[in-house]
Amino acid sequence: MSSEPTSFLYPFIESEERDSSGLLVDLAHSAQEKISQSWALRAATIERCHDQLGRAAPAMAECFTRGGRLFAFGNGGSATDAEGTVDLFRHPPHGRPLPAMSLVDDRAVLTALANDVGFDLVFSRQIIAHARAGDIAVGFSTSGDSRNVLRGLEEASHRGLLTVGLSGYEGGAIAASAATAHCLVVRSESVHRIQEAQNALMLQLWSLVQGGLDEGGTE
Amino acid sequence: MMALMGTTERSLEQGTAEDLASAALSLARCFAAGATMWCVATEWPAHGRHVAVEFVHPVIVGKKALPAVNVEGSDVVSAVRLLARPGDVLLTVSSAGDAVAADLLGRAEAWGLTRVWLGAGSRPPSGRAEHVVWLEGSDPARAARSGDLMLLYHLLWELTHVVFEHPGLLVPPPVCTDEVCITCSDEGRVAEVRSVRGDGLVEVTVGGERETIDATLVSPVAPGDLLLVHAGVALTTVADLH
Repeated sequence: MSSEPTSFLYPFIESEERDSSGLLVDLAHSAQEKISQSWALRAATIERCHDQLGRAAPAMAECFTRGGRLFAFGNGGSATDAEGTVDLFRHPPHGRPLPAMSLVDDRAVLTALANDVGFDLVFSRQIIAHARAGDIAVGFSTSGDSRNVLRGLEEASHRGLLTVGLSGYEGGAIAASAATAHCLVVRSESVHRIQEAQNALMLQLWSLVQGGLDEGGTE
Repeated sequence: MMALMGTTERSLEQGTAEDLASAALSLARCFAAGATMWCVATEWPAHGRHVAVEFVHPVIVGKKALPAVNVEGSDVVSAVRLLARPGDVLLTVSSAGDAVAADLLGRAEAWGLTRVWLGAGSRPPSGRAEHVVWLEGSDPARAARSGDLMLLYHLLWELTHVVFEHPGLLVPPPVCTDEVCITCSDEGRVAEVRSVRGDGLVEVTVGGERETIDATLVSPVAPGDLLLVHAGVALTTVADLH
């Protein structure tokens, strides 16, 4: 009953597959491989972005020291990464809470802008409304080509904000734009691995910013 | 650089991959049977939203859009009780100490939900969910920010879609094959009190179904209380068990 003697002749008839043990082994193997890939990419990315992190963090720390606020934005999973970033800066596990706002939180504002002026402008219009010179704009895009994120960074740069972009693949339009003062690129073609590495980059950046604030405080 | 990764590298035991595989198989079977996945991450709401968007709007073109909903706000328990149907899935992302997750997971059994608990830090007591996928020994606050927790649900999504490529495995094997079945016989089941009648009887939800049971042994009870029920009789309250 448990095994039909001729089943090996028809491995392609997947709808008749009944024993999940082989699949479970394959799934676990695949998961282990991707866990290793994710760790390796995160470590390599932080190492490769060492210099950019080293320049962006003190610039951000200086903005915060002078009373600046951070605005974070992105689409989809990157929107949640923007929210996670805001949460990290505002409610840090240790260190000093810092003023940060997400531009994806308010449904009324987002839908009003999307409906009336178009989705490309949902972040730039909020930058116009909220931001001042000396604030910080952080835009997340895995492709590096999200138009509304690019427009947000352009508007922010135009208004004298410190701009930080997080992107993936080869960096995309956000990395190429002169409006992006500091661009942290995760060199990968997997959206998932890019997002995981962007998380790690942001954690490292936050940690360096906190360190920069402490140095400022002892001067 | 390894300072950042070191903690979690040690904590991610070999079993985590196996736990993910088994959770993905269950999840795909639930979705195939029409389930919605309710996602709750009270400590890190952004992760709850990320899980939901991951399943609803896959990053890989051509993958099936699956019903997943993030639930947050001041009364997550009432919201999930109202929205979820028997056979649905509850996915929580949290540390073991998250009181909302613990409360929800305890009730979800009575509501007839399959429970998947993703988290980091010290491992929760056993038996709180059908699938516990845990990054043991890592600092939960760090795992939530370092990409490690995200990696867990990214892989869960990915493996779930691999299972969909095996339609023959989407139908779970029959539960009651032996003459004595654990599910139907000696095991007590968790029930949630819906309303209390005057005659010692209470209306409960058990396994997602409404039942009337005898609660004289555990009276007084109130709506929302969790009871351990066997053969139509409430034997004890779940709070007393813990």
